[in-house]
Amino acid sequence: MPFIPIIMPQLGESIAEARIVSFLIPPGGPVEADQDLIEVETDKATMTVASPCKGRVEKFTAQLNESYAVGASLGQIEATQEEVVRLGLDVCIQQKSSETEQLSKSGINSGKSRVQPTIRGLPVPANAAGASYLSPRLKARMDELGLHAADLAGVAGSGAAGRVTVEDFEKYITSLEKHKMSGASTMRVAVADAMRRSWTRPLATVGLPVQLDVVLAHRKASDPKPGPALYALRALAIALSENSAVAGRLVGNKIIHPSSIDVGFAVEAEDGVLVPVIRNADKRSLKDMTQRYNELVDLARQRKLPPDATGGSIATVTNFGTFGLIWATPIPLPEQTLVLGMGAGRRVPFWDEAKGQFVPVMEAYLTLSFDHRVLDGGAAGRLLQRIGELMKQPEQL
Amino acid sequence: MSLITYLDAICEAQAHALRDDPRVFIYGQDVGAFGGAFKATKNLAREFPGRVIDSPISEDAMVGLAVGAAIEGMRPIIEMQFADFSTVGFNQIVNQAASLFWRTNVSCPITVRLPFGGTSGGGPFHSQSLETIYAHYPGLIVLTPATVEDAYSMLIEAVAIDDPVIFCEHKFLYRHLKVEKLPSEALPIGKARIAREGRDLTIVAYSAMVQDALEAAGELATEGWEVEVVDLRSVKPLDTDTVMASVSRTGKLLAVGEAFPWGGVTAEVIARVTSEGFELLDAPPQRLNAKDTPIPYHPNLWAAHRPTVRSIGAAARKILRH
Repeated sequence: MPFIPIIMPQLGESIAEARIVSFLIPPGGPVEADQDLIEVETDKATMTVASPCKGRVEKFTAQLNESYAVGASLGQIEATQEEVVRLGLDVCIQQKSSETEQLSKSGINSGKSRVQPTIRGLPVPANAAGASYLSPRLKARMDELGLHAADLAGVAGSGAAGRVTVEDFEKYITSLEKHKMSGASTMRVAVADAMRRSWTRPLATVGLPVQLDVVLAHRKASDPKPGPALYALRALAIALSENSAVAGRLVGNKIIHPSSIDVGFAVEAEDGVLVPVIRNADKRSLKDMTQRYNELVDLARQRKLPPDATGGSIATVTNFGTFGLIWATPIPLPEQTLVLGMGAGRRVPFWDEAKGQFVPVMEAYLTLSFDHRVLDGGAAGRLLQRIGELMKQPEQL
Repeated sequence: MSLITYLDAICEAQAHALRDDPRVFIYGQDVGAFGGAFKATKNLAREFPGRVIDSPISEDAMVGLAVGAAIEGMRPIIEMQFADFSTVGFNQIVNQAASLFWRTNVSCPITVRLPFGGTSGGGPFHSQSLETIYAHYPGLIVLTPATVEDAYSMLIEAVAIDDPVIFCEHKFLYRHLKVEKLPSEALPIGKARIAREGRDLTIVAYSAMVQDALEAAGELATEGWEVEVVDLRSVKPLDTDTVMASVSRTGKLLAVGEAFPWGGVTAEVIARVTSEGFELLDAPPQRLNAKDTPIPYHPNLWAAHRPTVRSIGAAARKILRH
């Protein structure tokens, strides 16, 4: 009877190994295909390894409480020849490989198996599907045409592990020629490049409703009038001055802290977005920066921003409410960890506990998109709550 | 009209050389009245009296004599009974002949004929492929004809070349390849030939492996793959341009050689393509050689030891599916 190895499966994208918690079927016991065999634990969760086929558990070679790499052999199932044929498996290991026995006796292997390639044939990374793995030739061809992997998102690969082959690529390029094409502006290409680079990170967004009545009243009484986004910008700057680590960037195993609280704000210009910067926004009052803010908005719209007013900011504020949107998940600039968004204000009913009735309030959502490698939902939520609190007292901003 | 074999072509080429140039003579064990171990000099001693000469059983002395004669202006052809035995004359070939011109500015126009490659039951001393060892030495030219036409025209050219030439003639091809007539013109030495055109994979081979690669390509064609086969013809000089041009069409490379796998011609082909043509590759280039053990006697073991139509096909499929 042929023996089928029980292989540690790929349990999650970043999981390289898992620890054996318990064996759910005793050696010698019968198993069905896909029946849970072994309970394993990773950094993230407890999971199970299922039987590759119907048969009988011949033995477990894995040890309890030991960790094994993805692809490692954990034991064997004795299966019938028909079952093997049905599964289309052609790897039948002999029951006792004298060499393996020898190795484990001499302690060289000490239970840790080498990672086995999961794809038959020539090696490709396990996550090669689509354009995430590029052969040298494909890469050269894409460079020639100025394309990026993201441009091939719509191409299903026909190569090993679903990779996009040069042939797939050429077919795709030829297929594009049937469509109407127009050139993308320099600004569009620059934004695309920034977004693509930013998207290499795990980004998440949280949201919080805030009441804007006090802000709007304060604004009405001010001269010059600060834009609504400026209140949010100033509140963000104060919150970051209390704890700047959340705006830090993760590089390797280090958090790079910001050296000054320079905050940018998004201004829509023709066919793109510009981000002028207010330097040391934590050290200047709202009143102080209002005129500068208005100037920068004008300069940005004319695309005449001075060099000292662009770049180097540690976070950005974007007022997507100007488009009538109440919610969005903006993407932070690639060199930043945070982007604070502001939705459109709406008059909504608010339950007033004291009055025992609904009252109309002006409400808008604040959103915070963040690099999840640097901070988690809790820290992002606390930062957003703090911004919300600060905006309740605009006279302090 | 009887067909001309690869072996006949070698005999004819030598007759042609003897006829054309009075400086040419053949020297080797039993090449005279006996006509050579494989009959590659059959009747030549009668036709060219005094110019097809039996040597003592000493490869060292044979090559040594040839180098001396070449210095004196002759163009000797040395026949080794088997390529394997040329190692006895190795010192004369690689230390003396190969370096002579570079040391003294005196040319060394000798041609050493090596009947090489495996035949069933040949075993470890009568089957080896030494092109890869000789190609390692600067100063030597190493030719590996895969067809009757090339065996003929390349041997004539080998004798005419002023440098020492190692002429590797495949023993299996001797009687297996036949043509109706010998060619009157040929590609220059150092130029590879596209033996079969295709767009999915390039197989680079030489000598008998070209025939096996062509057969494998034929089988793959029935599966819908179009495989291009490049016949190197000469492993040194190596025609990198033709190989690179082929890989630029196919994006995939398999190099096949009958020699042992450690280093050698197939490794050289892949090294050149990856270092000079990395951006042409859409799959990791692969090579297929004999196994890394001495050559077994038993026909079944021997068949498992050397690359075959089947193993070439399997290696090709692996790359094609990448």
